[in-house]
Amino acid sequence: MEPVNERELVERCRQDDEGAFQELVDRYKNLVFAMIARTVQDRSRIEDLAQDVFLRIHRGLPYFRGEARLSTWIYRIVANVCAQARAKAPDQVSLDDERSAAVMPSGADPQFADIELRDRLEKAIARLPDRQRLLIAAHYLQGVQYEDLADALRLPLGTVKTHLYRAKRQLRRLLETELK
Amino acid sequence: MLCDEVLEAIEPIAAGDLTPDQTVAAHLASCASCRAALDRARDIERMLQARAAPAAPPHFTSRTLARIRRDEWRRDQLLDAGFNTAVATLVLAAVAGVWLVMHQSGIVTVSNDAVGLIEMFIVVVARRIAPELPLYAAATALLAVTVGVWWWAERDVTNW
Repeated sequence: MEPVNERELVERCRQDDEGAFQELVDRYKNLVFAMIARTVQDRSRIEDLAQDVFLRIHRGLPYFRGEARLSTWIYRIVANVCAQARAKAPDQVSLDDERSAAVMPSGADPQFADIELRDRLEKAIARLPDRQRLLIAAHYLQGVQYEDLADALRLPLGTVKTHLYRAKRQLRRLLETELK
Repeated sequence: MLCDEVLEAIEPIAAGDLTPDQTVAAHLASCASCRAALDRARDIERMLQARAAPAAPPHFTSRTLARIRRDEWRRDQLLDAGFNTAVATLVLAAVAGVWLVMHQSGIVTVSNDAVGLIEMFIVVVARRIAPELPLYAAATALLAVTVGVWWWAERDVTNW
Protein backbone atom coordinates (compact mmCIF):
# COMPACT_ATOMS: atom_id res chain seq x y z
CA MET A 1 0.00 0.00 0.00
CA GLU A 2 1.19 3.52 -0.78
CA PRO A 3 2.39 5.28 2.39
CA VAL A 4 0.40 8.43 1.53
CA ASN A 5 -2.80 6.43 1.13
CA GLU A 6 -1.97 4.64 4.35
CA ARG A 7 -1.67 7.94 6.20
CA GLU A 8 -4.93 9.19 4.70
CA LEU A 9 -6.67 5.98 5.66
CA VAL A 10 -5.38 6.19 9.23
CA GLU A 11 -6.46 9.84 9.44
CA ARG A 12 -9.95 8.99 8.20
CA CYS A 13 -10.18 6.12 10.69
CA ARG A 14 -9.20 8.51 13.46
CA GLN A 15 -12.08 10.76 12.47
CA ASP A 16 -14.46 7.85 13.18
CA ASP A 17 -15.07 7.19 9.50
CA GLU A 18 -16.49 3.66 9.62
CA GLY A 19 -16.07 3.29 5.86
CA ALA A 20 -12.35 3.96 6.26
CA PHE A 21 -12.02 1.35 8.98
CA GLN A 22 -13.90 -1.12 6.83
CA GLU A 23 -11.38 -0.41 4.05
CA LEU A 24 -8.54 -1.01 6.50
CA VAL A 25 -10.03 -4.36 7.56
CA ASP A 26 -10.50 -5.34 3.93
CA ARG A 27 -6.90 -4.46 3.09
CA TYR A 28 -5.29 -6.35 5.96
CA LYS A 29 -7.71 -9.16 6.81
CA ASN A 30 -6.05 -11.82 4.66
CA LEU A 31 -2.58 -10.97 5.94
CA VAL A 32 -3.72 -10.99 9.57
CA PHE A 33 -5.76 -14.14 9.09
CA ALA A 34 -2.90 -15.99 7.36
CA MET A 35 -0.36 -14.99 10.00
CA ILE A 36 -2.62 -16.18 12.79
CA ALA A 37 -3.63 -19.35 10.98
CA ARG A 38 0.05 -20.21 10.48
CA THR A 39 0.98 -19.45 14.07
CA VAL A 40 -1.90 -20.67 16.23
CA GLN A 41 -2.65 -24.38 16.54
CA ASP A 42 -6.29 -24.11 17.52
CA ARG A 43 -8.16 -23.73 14.20
CA SER A 44 -11.40 -22.74 15.93
CA ARG A 45 -9.81 -19.63 17.40
CA ILE A 46 -8.29 -18.12 14.27
CA GLU A 47 -11.21 -15.86 13.36
CA ASP A 48 -11.72 -14.80 16.95
CA LEU A 49 -8.06 -13.87 17.28
CA ALA A 50 -8.07 -12.07 13.93
CA GLN A 51 -11.04 -10.03 15.16
CA ASP A 52 -9.10 -9.32 18.37
CA VAL A 53 -6.32 -7.87 16.25
CA PHE A 54 -8.70 -5.47 14.47
CA LEU A 55 -10.36 -4.58 17.78
CA ARG A 56 -6.94 -3.58 19.13
CA ILE A 57 -6.18 -1.67 15.94
CA HIS A 58 -9.47 0.21 16.30
CA ARG A 59 -8.76 1.06 19.93
CA GLY A 60 -5.13 1.90 19.25
CA LEU A 61 -5.48 4.04 16.12
CA PRO A 62 -5.93 7.29 18.09
CA TYR A 63 -2.52 6.62 19.66
CA PHE A 64 -0.80 5.43 16.46
CA ARG A 65 1.83 8.11 15.82
CA GLY A 66 2.71 6.97 12.33
CA GLU A 67 6.40 6.57 13.10
CA ALA A 68 6.29 3.00 11.82
CA ARG A 69 4.38 1.76 8.81
CA LEU A 70 0.81 0.71 9.52
CA SER A 71 1.59 -2.85 8.40
CA THR A 72 4.55 -3.00 10.79
CA TRP A 73 2.34 -1.87 13.64
CA ILE A 74 -0.23 -4.50 12.65
CA TYR A 75 2.43 -7.27 12.62
CA ARG A 76 3.36 -6.20 16.13
CA ILE A 77 -0.24 -6.48 17.27
CA VAL A 78 -0.58 -9.89 15.64
CA ALA A 79 2.60 -11.02 17.41
CA ASN A 80 1.20 -9.88 20.77
CA VAL A 81 -2.20 -11.49 20.19
CA CYS A 82 -0.56 -14.78 19.16
CA ALA A 83 1.76 -14.71 22.17
CA GLN A 84 -1.17 -14.12 24.51
CA ALA A 85 -3.21 -16.87 22.85
CA ARG A 86 -0.29 -19.22 23.27
CA ALA A 87 0.09 -18.28 26.93
CA LYS A 88 -3.61 -18.89 27.58
CA ALA A 89 -3.80 -22.24 25.82
CA PRO A 90 -0.42 -23.92 25.49
CA ASP A 91 -0.68 -26.67 22.97
CA GLN A 92 1.63 -29.44 21.95
CA VAL A 93 1.79 -30.93 18.54
CA SER A 94 3.83 -34.03 18.06
CA LEU A 95 5.46 -35.23 14.92
CA ASP A 96 4.49 -38.67 16.15
CA ASP A 97 0.83 -37.94 15.58
CA GLU A 98 -0.73 -41.23 14.49
CA ARG A 99 -1.90 -39.66 11.24
CA SER A 100 1.68 -38.97 10.21
CA ALA A 101 3.48 -41.76 11.95
CA ALA A 102 4.10 -43.69 8.81
CA VAL A 103 7.23 -42.49 7.09
CA MET A 104 6.98 -42.26 3.31
CA PRO A 105 7.22 -45.78 1.94
CA SER A 106 9.83 -46.32 -0.75
CA GLY A 107 8.41 -46.11 -4.22
CA ALA A 108 5.36 -44.12 -3.11
CA ASP A 109 3.71 -41.58 -5.40
CA PRO A 110 5.96 -38.44 -5.40
CA GLN A 111 2.88 -36.22 -5.15
CA PHE A 112 1.80 -38.12 -2.06
CA ALA A 113 5.34 -37.88 -0.70
CA ASP A 114 5.22 -34.12 -1.13
CA ILE A 115 1.90 -33.90 0.71
CA GLU A 116 3.31 -36.11 3.42
CA LEU A 117 6.40 -33.92 3.69
CA ARG A 118 4.27 -30.76 3.87
CA ASP A 119 2.21 -32.32 6.63
CA ARG A 120 5.35 -33.17 8.57
CA LEU A 121 6.71 -29.70 7.94
CA GLU A 122 3.55 -28.17 9.43
CA LYS A 123 3.95 -30.33 12.50
CA ALA A 124 7.63 -29.47 12.76
CA ILE A 125 6.73 -25.75 12.53
CA ALA A 126 4.25 -26.27 15.36
CA ARG A 127 7.12 -27.46 17.53
CA LEU A 128 9.20 -24.34 17.03
CA PRO A 129 9.44 -21.72 19.79
CA ASP A 130 6.74 -19.00 19.52
CA ARG A 131 8.94 -16.28 18.11
CA GLN A 132 10.53 -18.50 15.48
CA ARG A 133 7.12 -19.79 14.43
CA LEU A 134 5.79 -16.26 14.07
CA LEU A 135 8.85 -15.25 12.06
CA ILE A 136 8.39 -18.20 9.72
CA ALA A 137 4.66 -17.43 9.45
CA ALA A 138 5.21 -13.76 8.65
CA HIS A 139 8.36 -13.91 6.55
CA TYR A 140 6.84 -16.22 3.98
CA LEU A 141 3.75 -14.08 3.49
CA GLN A 142 3.84 -12.09 0.31
CA GLY A 143 5.62 -8.78 0.64
CA VAL A 144 6.82 -9.15 4.20
CA GLN A 145 10.51 -8.27 4.28
CA TYR A 146 13.20 -8.87 6.90
CA GLU A 147 13.12 -5.13 7.62
CA ASP A 148 9.33 -5.19 8.31
CA LEU A 149 9.78 -8.01 10.79
CA ALA A 150 12.72 -6.31 12.47
CA ASP A 151 10.62 -3.14 12.91
CA ALA A 152 7.56 -5.03 14.09
CA LEU A 153 9.40 -7.12 16.64
CA ARG A 154 11.80 -4.31 17.57
CA LEU A 155 14.77 -6.54 16.84
CA PRO A 156 17.97 -5.79 14.92
CA LEU A 157 17.86 -6.95 11.31
CA GLY A 158 20.72 -9.41 11.89
CA THR A 159 18.86 -10.97 14.83
CA VAL A 160 15.77 -11.52 12.71
CA LYS A 161 17.83 -13.25 10.03
CA THR A 162 19.65 -15.34 12.62
CA HIS A 163 16.34 -16.42 14.22
CA LEU A 164 14.96 -17.35 10.81
CA TYR A 165 18.03 -19.38 9.86
CA ARG A 166 17.95 -21.13 13.23
CA ALA A 167 14.25 -21.88 12.80
CA LYS A 168 14.84 -23.40 9.37
CA ARG A 169 17.85 -25.37 10.62
CA GLN A 170 15.65 -26.70 13.40
CA LEU A 171 12.98 -27.65 10.86
CA ARG A 172 15.55 -29.41 8.70
CA ARG A 173 16.87 -31.37 11.68
CA LEU A 174 13.37 -32.30 12.81
CA LEU A 175 12.45 -33.55 9.37
CA GLU A 176 15.77 -35.39 8.94
CA THR A 177 15.34 -37.10 12.30
CA GLU A 178 11.80 -38.13 11.47
CA LEU A 179 12.65 -39.42 8.00
CA LYS A 180 15.66 -41.47 9.10
CA MET B 1 36.76 -27.30 5.21
CA LEU B 2 34.68 -28.94 7.93
CA CYS B 3 31.09 -30.05 7.39
CA ASP B 4 30.00 -28.07 10.50
CA GLU B 5 31.19 -24.83 8.95
CA VAL B 6 29.29 -25.50 5.74
CA LEU B 7 26.17 -26.64 7.56
CA GLU B 8 26.13 -23.28 9.37
CA ALA B 9 25.78 -21.59 5.97
CA ILE B 10 23.23 -24.01 4.50
CA GLU B 11 20.10 -22.01 5.38
CA PRO B 12 21.40 -18.62 4.16
CA ILE B 13 22.50 -20.33 0.91
CA ALA B 14 19.12 -22.05 0.48
CA ALA B 15 17.32 -18.74 1.12
CA GLY B 16 19.44 -17.03 -1.54
CA ASP B 17 20.90 -14.63 1.04
CA LEU B 18 24.43 -16.02 0.64
CA THR B 19 26.30 -17.12 -2.44
CA PRO B 20 28.69 -19.99 -1.66
CA ASP B 21 32.32 -19.04 -2.23
CA GLN B 22 34.71 -21.37 -4.02
CA THR B 23 35.71 -23.27 -0.87
CA VAL B 24 32.11 -23.94 0.16
CA ALA B 25 31.12 -24.83 -3.40
CA ALA B 26 34.02 -27.27 -3.62
CA HIS B 27 33.03 -28.87 -0.33
CA LEU B 28 29.42 -29.19 -1.41
CA ALA B 29 30.54 -30.83 -4.63
CA SER B 30 32.57 -33.40 -2.76
CA CYS B 31 30.47 -34.04 0.38
CA ALA B 32 27.25 -35.99 -0.21
CA SER B 33 25.99 -35.36 3.33
CA CYS B 34 26.28 -31.56 3.08
CA ARG B 35 24.82 -31.62 -0.43
CA ALA B 36 21.83 -33.62 0.87
CA ALA B 37 21.43 -31.10 3.69
CA LEU B 38 21.41 -28.26 1.16
CA ASP B 39 18.84 -30.10 -0.96
CA ARG B 40 16.68 -30.61 2.11
CA ALA B 41 17.06 -26.93 3.08
CA ARG B 42 16.03 -25.91 -0.44
CA ASP B 43 13.01 -28.23 -0.25
CA ILE B 44 12.01 -26.61 3.04
CA GLU B 45 12.53 -23.14 1.53
CA ARG B 46 10.36 -24.08 -1.45
CA MET B 47 7.63 -25.55 0.76
CA LEU B 48 7.66 -22.54 3.04
CA GLN B 49 7.28 -20.22 0.07
CA ALA B 50 4.44 -22.33 -1.29
CA ARG B 51 2.83 -22.74 2.11
CA ALA B 52 -0.88 -22.07 2.00
CA ALA B 53 -1.94 -18.70 3.35
CA PRO B 54 -5.56 -19.17 4.46
CA ALA B 55 -7.73 -16.25 3.43
CA ALA B 56 -10.20 -14.63 5.78
CA PRO B 57 -13.67 -16.21 5.50
CA PRO B 58 -16.53 -14.41 3.75
CA HIS B 59 -18.30 -11.83 5.95
CA PHE B 60 -15.19 -11.52 8.12
CA THR B 61 -15.23 -7.73 7.68
CA SER B 62 -18.90 -7.33 8.59
CA ARG B 63 -18.56 -9.65 11.58
CA THR B 64 -15.48 -7.75 12.76
CA LEU B 65 -17.21 -4.38 12.40
CA ALA B 66 -20.24 -5.73 14.28
CA ARG B 67 -17.97 -6.91 17.09
CA ILE B 68 -16.27 -3.52 17.23
CA ARG B 69 -19.68 -1.79 17.45
CA ARG B 70 -20.68 -4.13 20.29
CA ASP B 71 -17.41 -3.43 22.02
CA GLU B 72 -17.90 0.32 21.66
CA TRP B 73 -21.48 0.06 22.93
CA ARG B 74 -20.29 -1.93 25.96
CA ARG B 75 -17.55 0.59 26.62
CA ASP B 76 -20.06 3.46 26.34
CA GLN B 77 -22.38 1.65 28.76
CA LEU B 78 -19.52 1.15 31.18
CA LEU B 79 -18.52 4.79 30.78
CA ASP B 80 -22.11 5.93 31.42
CA ALA B 81 -22.45 3.66 34.43
CA GLY B 82 -19.12 4.91 35.76
CA PHE B 83 -20.14 8.54 35.18
CA ASN B 84 -23.54 8.05 36.87
CA THR B 85 -21.93 6.29 39.81
CA ALA B 86 -19.39 9.08 40.11
CA VAL B 87 -22.12 11.76 40.05
CA ALA B 88 -24.23 9.89 42.62
CA THR B 89 -21.18 9.46 44.83
CA LEU B 90 -20.35 13.15 44.52
CA VAL B 91 -23.92 14.20 45.39
CA LEU B 92 -23.95 11.86 48.39
CA ALA B 93 -20.55 13.12 49.45
CA ALA B 94 -21.72 16.73 49.10
CA VAL B 95 -24.89 16.10 51.15
CA ALA B 96 -22.88 14.24 53.78
CA GLY B 97 -20.31 17.04 53.79
CA VAL B 98 -22.94 19.76 54.24
CA TRP B 99 -24.61 17.78 56.99
CA LEU B 100 -21.26 17.22 58.70
CA VAL B 101 -20.37 20.92 58.51
CA MET B 102 -23.79 21.89 59.90
CA HIS B 103 -23.47 19.34 62.65
CA GLN B 104 -19.95 20.44 63.54
CA SER B 105 -20.86 24.15 63.55
CA GLY B 106 -24.04 23.69 65.63
CA ILE B 107 -26.41 24.84 62.85
CA VAL B 108 -28.26 21.53 63.07
CA THR B 109 -29.07 22.19 66.75
CA VAL B 110 -30.26 25.71 65.93
CA SER B 111 -32.46 24.47 63.09
CA ASN B 112 -33.91 21.79 65.37
CA ASP B 113 -34.80 24.54 67.87
CA ALA B 114 -36.39 26.62 65.09
CA VAL B 115 -38.55 23.66 64.00
CA GLY B 116 -39.64 23.15 67.64
CA LEU B 117 -40.66 26.82 67.95
CA ILE B 118 -42.73 26.69 64.74
CA GLU B 119 -44.50 23.55 65.99
CA MET B 120 -45.31 25.25 69.30
CA PHE B 121 -46.65 28.34 67.48
CA ILE B 122 -48.97 26.20 65.34
CA VAL B 123 -50.29 24.36 68.39
CA VAL B 124 -50.97 27.60 70.31
CA VAL B 125 -52.76 29.23 67.37
CA ALA B 126 -54.87 26.07 66.80
CA ARG B 127 -55.90 26.01 70.47
CA ARG B 128 -56.99 29.67 70.39
CA ILE B 129 -58.94 29.29 67.15
CA ALA B 130 -60.72 26.04 68.03
CA PRO B 131 -63.47 27.55 70.36
CA GLU B 132 -64.32 30.27 67.79
CA LEU B 133 -64.49 27.82 64.87
CA PRO B 134 -68.39 27.67 64.56
CA LEU B 135 -68.50 31.49 64.44
CA TYR B 136 -65.88 31.60 61.62
CA ALA B 137 -67.76 28.81 59.78
CA ALA B 138 -71.11 30.71 60.03
CA ALA B 139 -69.49 33.96 58.80
CA THR B 140 -67.91 32.11 55.85
CA ALA B 141 -71.31 30.51 54.99
CA LEU B 142 -73.08 33.93 55.17
CA LEU B 143 -70.44 35.44 52.88
CA ALA B 144 -70.85 32.56 50.40
CA VAL B 145 -74.69 33.00 50.35
CA THR B 146 -74.36 36.78 49.78
CA VAL B 147 -71.97 36.28 46.86
CA GLY B 148 -74.31 33.63 45.44
CA VAL B 149 -77.38 35.91 45.57
CA TRP B 150 -75.41 38.77 44.02
CA TRP B 151 -74.27 36.47 41.18
CA TRP B 152 -77.89 35.24 40.67
CA ALA B 153 -79.27 38.85 40.52
CA GLU B 154 -76.60 40.09 38.14
CA ARG B 155 -76.55 37.12 35.78
CA ASP B 156 -77.12 37.84 32.01
CA VAL B 157 -80.32 35.99 31.07
CA THR B 158 -79.95 36.83 27.33
CA ASN B 159 -77.17 34.22 27.08
CA TRP B 160 -79.61 31.44 27.92
